[in-house]
Amino acid sequence: MLTVKNLRKEYTNTVAIENISFSLQPGKIFGLIGPNGAGKTTTIRIILNIIKPTSGEVLFDGKAMDRTIQNLTGYLPEERGLYKKSTVSDVISYLASLKNVSSPKAAQLANEWLAKLGIIEYKNKKIEELSKGNQQKIQFITAVLHNPKILILDEPFTGFDPINQQLIKETILSLAGEGKIIVLSTHQMDLAEKLCNDIFLINKGKEVCSGSLSEIKRLYGTPSIKIEYQGDASFLNQNSDVTHVDMYQNYAELQLRDSINPSHFLRSLVDKIEIRHFSIIEPTLNKIFIDAVKD
Amino acid sequence: MKKAFAIAKWEFMEKIKSRAIIISFFLTPLIILGFSILPSIFAEKDEATTEAIGVLDDTQNYFSSLAEKLSEYKLEDKQPRYLVVNLYKSGVNIDSLKADANRNVVKKKMEGYIFLTVNGKKETVFEYRSLSLGNFNDYKRFEDCFNKIRRLQEFKKANIDTALVSHLLNNIEINTVKLDEKGKESSADFKSQYFSSFIFIMILFMVIMMSGGMLVRSLVEEKSNRLIEIIVSSCKPDDILKGKILGLSGLTLTQIVVWALIGTAFAGQGLVLFASFQNLILLLVYFILGFVFYTAIFVGVGSVVTTEQEAQQITGYLSMITISPLVIMIPAMQNPDSILMRVFSYIPLTTPGVMILRLNSAPISTIEIAATLAELLLAIYVVIKISSKIFRIGILSYGKMPSITELFAWLREKE
Repeated sequence: MLTVKNLRKEYTNTVAIENISFSLQPGKIFGLIGPNGAGKTTTIRIILNIIKPTSGEVLFDGKAMDRTIQNLTGYLPEERGLYKKSTVSDVISYLASLKNVSSPKAAQLANEWLAKLGIIEYKNKKIEELSKGNQQKIQFITAVLHNPKILILDEPFTGFDPINQQLIKETILSLAGEGKIIVLSTHQMDLAEKLCNDIFLINKGKEVCSGSLSEIKRLYGTPSIKIEYQGDASFLNQNSDVTHVDMYQNYAELQLRDSINPSHFLRSLVDKIEIRHFSIIEPTLNKIFIDAVKD
Repeated sequence: MKKAFAIAKWEFMEKIKSRAIIISFFLTPLIILGFSILPSIFAEKDEATTEAIGVLDDTQNYFSSLAEKLSEYKLEDKQPRYLVVNLYKSGVNIDSLKADANRNVVKKKMEGYIFLTVNGKKETVFEYRSLSLGNFNDYKRFEDCFNKIRRLQEFKKANIDTALVSHLLNNIEINTVKLDEKGKESSADFKSQYFSSFIFIMILFMVIMMSGGMLVRSLVEEKSNRLIEIIVSSCKPDDILKGKILGLSGLTLTQIVVWALIGTAFAGQGLVLFASFQNLILLLVYFILGFVFYTAIFVGVGSVVTTEQEAQQITGYLSMITISPLVIMIPAMQNPDSILMRVFSYIPLTTPGVMILRLNSAPISTIEIAATLAELLLAIYVVIKISSKIFRIGILSYGKMPSITELFAWLREKE
């Protein structure tokens, strides 16, 4: 288990993050989300022992993060690039050697991963000869090759076409299935929603909300109701049970007062309009994110 | 340390495979060779033909002796170097003779002419007139010959034994013999000392500038593509620093070995030069320590750079600092034990350069050698400490370069 306790990082004139705490379980994907400049990268850098926090600590299985644990981490930074003039296998083997993987072992693992991601034929090509997407795949491989227990992926999907996004998504899920602790930092809320078990929303260096995805939706999002109907539904605008209405041609989206049970509300409508479809829509992470950051 | 070696190996292997390095391996010695050999080739070419030199001797005393003396100078193929032509015609006005001679020089019928006359104060006037006065050797010879002849004639007039006089007129040249601490003799003159030290120091600065530039550029690349974050998340910044210095040192040593091999293969001259170093091992020690010292500075400063442009600027400034000992090169050789040179020997920036010069020109006491080495090692330690502090933060800061106050704040920051 990876535990982050009361992290605070100050720079000369600014506080980058403050009072950040969370814990991550093996086999689960942890979504670290927040707008640009929120403090995600600082948090990630502290977890990776790249920088020291001003106060607070990061523990892995109860032990403070140190140089030996660094070999157990894998990192895919948001901004990417590799040694352009070097060959794929050289770069992979070099970065693996920094994680204490011997070169024969690295070569074997590189072959496996290159085959898995469908780019084995580029093994001896120079990085600069590869397409952007394939370069990203190489970078992904360098983050996971040494079989890290903690994997930190900062915007892993940018630069991939939908097919490769799918491939990377499946790979991440299978890595989680192997019991790795995965931190996923992204702006793509739909993907975060599909992949993450737990979410930590950070803004201006502080926690906005955190917990399991369903918990966050329950606590921070208000479900809406979608009704498709025939007839005159203008009375909904004056209905005291309703807090917000968006009327469209043949349907309406509305939000109910907290105390109102949706089933009771449906019953009250049946006499007034002809209902064709009635559904409760869960709030999207995107909506929660935007609302939270706006506040 | 294992990771430092992994980094060193990577830096070494990747750089040695690059085209730029291969070019510098072979091109640089060619350039040095070119600079040292071409001038002498051209200088020899200059002497390849016989030149017509006129003599317009208004005094009518010197022509025949001068012609005789100048004919002693021969080309390689035994042809005379100078074809001496008498321009004097009795009964013709000297000014019109001069005008004729000038015309002939302009028409390139002769290279130039010697004009001899006596002025109003009864002093002898001796001139060489030519379109080009670039060939210093030529008119130096004319001057020597003329003065010898003149003295000889004056002594003759005074009835002094001419055999004795001509014997006395021959200069005896000084022969320099260099002694080492044990009194062992070796022949070395100022010139060969100067050039051997010069080559040594030039190589030092060339490799520092080249590898320093390479280092800063590779740091900029790693910063701009964020690879540095992956590396820092895998090992200690100190290991990165050590690895980079180690890798570059290895690269530089390889380069020097290649150059030395090329040097020996091309010219035996190179061997003679190296043989004139009595303290080759000690020189190499100063060389290597100097290299490490400067490289450590480059690493620290280079880590704050974020763009290729800044990298070029910074390497420019740093190179100027590294090359500054060249300014005091001649005084250092002329007076290797002066107080000023002793002081420079203890300033880390100049220690390697000045000590290489001093070691090459005079024996230096063991105590002084030990003290300067200790001072240099201490300086390296301090610079690595400072550099690694700057490096630790510098490699992770992007955007603008830090101000001096920010740098000091970094230095104060705890690890």
